[in-house]
Amino acid sequence: MKQLLAIIKYDYLQRTRSYTFLITLCASLAIAYTFVPAPDANYSTIRIADYVGYYNAAWFGYVTAIMTSVFLSLIGFYLVNSAIKNDDITRVGQIIATTPLKTFKYLLTKAISNFLVLLTLVLVIFLMSILLFFLYNDGYPFEIMQFIKPYLVITIPALFFIAVLAIVFEVTFRKFTVVQNVLFFFVFAFLMLYTPKTDVQYGFDVFGTKIITDELQQTVHEVTNTDASKSLTIGYVIGGQEKPKNFHFEGYDFPTTFMASRIIWLVFSIALLFGVTPLFHRFSGKELRFAIKTKTVNVVATNIKDMEISTLVSATKNYSVLPLIKTEFLLMARQGKKWLWGFNILGMSLLGTLSTEIAHQIILPILWFIQVHRFSGITTRELANRMHYFTFSSYRPLQRLMTSQLVAGLILLVGLAMPLVVRYIILGNFHAAIGVVSGALFILLLAAFLGLLTQGKKLFEVLFFLLTYANINTIPFLDYFGALAHDKQYLMNLSVTVFVLLSSCILIRRKQLVTQ
Amino acid sequence: MKLNIQNVSKRYNRQKYGLKDFSMTIEKGVLGLLGPNGAGKSTLLKMIATVSKPTEGLICLNKNNIVKDPNYMRQQLGFLPQDFGVYPNLNAIEFLQYMAAVKGVGGANLKERISQLLEGLNLIEVAKKPIGSYSGGMKQRVGIAQALLNNPSVLIFDEPTVGLDPEERVRFRNLISDLANESIVILSSHIVSDIDTIADRVAIMKNGSLLVHGGQDELIDHIDGKVFETIIAKENLRDFKTKFTVVGTTRKEGQLLVRYLAEDPSKNSVGKVANLEDAYLHFTKNN
Repeated sequence: MKQLLAIIKYDYLQRTRSYTFLITLCASLAIAYTFVPAPDANYSTIRIADYVGYYNAAWFGYVTAIMTSVFLSLIGFYLVNSAIKNDDITRVGQIIATTPLKTFKYLLTKAISNFLVLLTLVLVIFLMSILLFFLYNDGYPFEIMQFIKPYLVITIPALFFIAVLAIVFEVTFRKFTVVQNVLFFFVFAFLMLYTPKTDVQYGFDVFGTKIITDELQQTVHEVTNTDASKSLTIGYVIGGQEKPKNFHFEGYDFPTTFMASRIIWLVFSIALLFGVTPLFHRFSGKELRFAIKTKTVNVVATNIKDMEISTLVSATKNYSVLPLIKTEFLLMARQGKKWLWGFNILGMSLLGTLSTEIAHQIILPILWFIQVHRFSGITTRELANRMHYFTFSSYRPLQRLMTSQLVAGLILLVGLAMPLVVRYIILGNFHAAIGVVSGALFILLLAAFLGLLTQGKKLFEVLFFLLTYANINTIPFLDYFGALAHDKQYLMNLSVTVFVLLSSCILIRRKQLVTQ
Repeated sequence: MKLNIQNVSKRYNRQKYGLKDFSMTIEKGVLGLLGPNGAGKSTLLKMIATVSKPTEGLICLNKNNIVKDPNYMRQQLGFLPQDFGVYPNLNAIEFLQYMAAVKGVGGANLKERISQLLEGLNLIEVAKKPIGSYSGGMKQRVGIAQALLNNPSVLIFDEPTVGLDPEERVRFRNLISDLANESIVILSSHIVSDIDTIADRVAIMKNGSLLVHGGQDELIDHIDGKVFETIIAKENLRDFKTKFTVVGTTRKEGQLLVRYLAEDPSKNSVGKVANLEDAYLHFTKNN
């Protein structure tokens, strides 16, 4: 037991002692700050028709616990789903594989370490929810249990399940990171759509939020006595709303069956982990997934003459960026398995055949999302492959290399969206065509900026997933690629954002070049 | 062709220096940079290669300050870092074409030059295989090839022989000798035998400082008449080390043949001809 605790402790420490985690922590704080809007804010998070609760301890506790359960389950998976992969990349896994540590115990330590990482974020959000209470409350007393109970019953079991699920996916789908990401996307959407009716059915809701949201709807229904109370919204709805009315929410006594279901979810999670244990490769050579070498080539030493430098043909100067763009494009195109291009061809066909509305709103964000592994490392690839000493000591690395990386990325994203762009041009809808190209540029620059800022690609991947989920759910504020009707102000705002991102990328990379 | 390094320091914080007040002028030929791990060799080489900036001091190539204008150096630089990587999904030809583009090299002769380099470095047979499938030595040779792509007039090799087999090491040394006719070649290693056969001049570093530099003979002269060999019992080695600077031991019929440095040798010792390794140990152990 002591050994397991030590492994968990040091695994947790090495994962949290990183710049990326610090940024994630700050981002969590910022997001948590928005979970309960200020009284005069022009957006809502949880709202039942025209009603929100009075700002008492129960409202703050339950609303932030629900929002945390939903949002952290969504992005938490992407934050922690490389625990085994990292051991593989760093080759620590190969050392672990030679120790007597049992496979199940190893996987369990990884799952618990995942859980602790998520729990750290929960703790930050929890503290922020208390701070928000003291900032915004309507003069109600502070009741700590109204904060602790919902987090304990709703959020924590959900996140434990997500922590284990990340390991289960890593073990089951091995090197297919894209499959893991896309599949979780659909699993999450499916789980969110589940609509329980009875106490027993509430138990099947892994996120544990439905029982409270139904209770909130029921309370509002009793106040208004109309069906309007059924229009519950969870998520960020910005502007266009009347000032909400208030109702009293005093917390909730969870039924015993529901409490038991939370424990059953914990046990089920561990059983699931146990179930997939035989599938784990244990870093064996054949299954070593992320190591660069797959099949070694050998060359028989022959009688080779010494090379005489003076006899080599001379190279001439050529500062064109075209060869660079070509190679950067090849590097992106060759990421991942070849058969994944089948999805791209299918996606492009759908962009060309489905109604422009569905193609733009649903197919395009998904098609771009499944390229995430290709361009999320656009500005971190050199560091990840330890190529930066070559590239940073090359001629004009900022002007030539970064430009070619961005152009190649743009060619990839716009190329994939080309069937839709061409259709818009034929239809004379230039506004929409520009929206798609601007969207490609925005998402690419966001990847470049976050990569430069965090020196990793995780934060962008998580945010991109969140953005895609919001896009499919047609949230106007996050529609970066013009899928919804917008005025000219939208293009202006997007252009300014793109300019700011590009300027930031240039500044950060310039600093990086001189501070190695 | 002259590389002038003037009072260069790399300071990480108030007390910690990676390199301290380093000055040297380097001209055409091979400079061997010797020093134990942590001596500051890689720090110095990175600054010359413009991937790191000194916190103090000047580095000038042909009177051009490359700290302010790094592109002047980059146009004529070939650099093989100590711990470099490659893009595993590219084959050797694609990788070298990419590196050529990065360095600003092209033209009609590029393909032929790449082909000649691959042939000369015994990689032509695997040139179309992904580099991810190469052994460590093969990757090292790809690294050497990229350093030679652009007819560099300044070549920096940081621990270049790592991963190379003995035959490849010999061929690499011959290659360096050829390069040194027209270029400045700086070669770092902590293996003295990599340096002693090819370096015109040698600099020995320790703890971020330059201990000594000069021609090999000049350095060896410092310990002329101070190198000895003797046979001792195994159990006496610890005691022997407290009295003398031991540079090597060899087992011999249950006893030890010890090579050591001393002003006043022990009894039954035989004087030996000093070499660069003796000089290196003399400077690094006594400073």
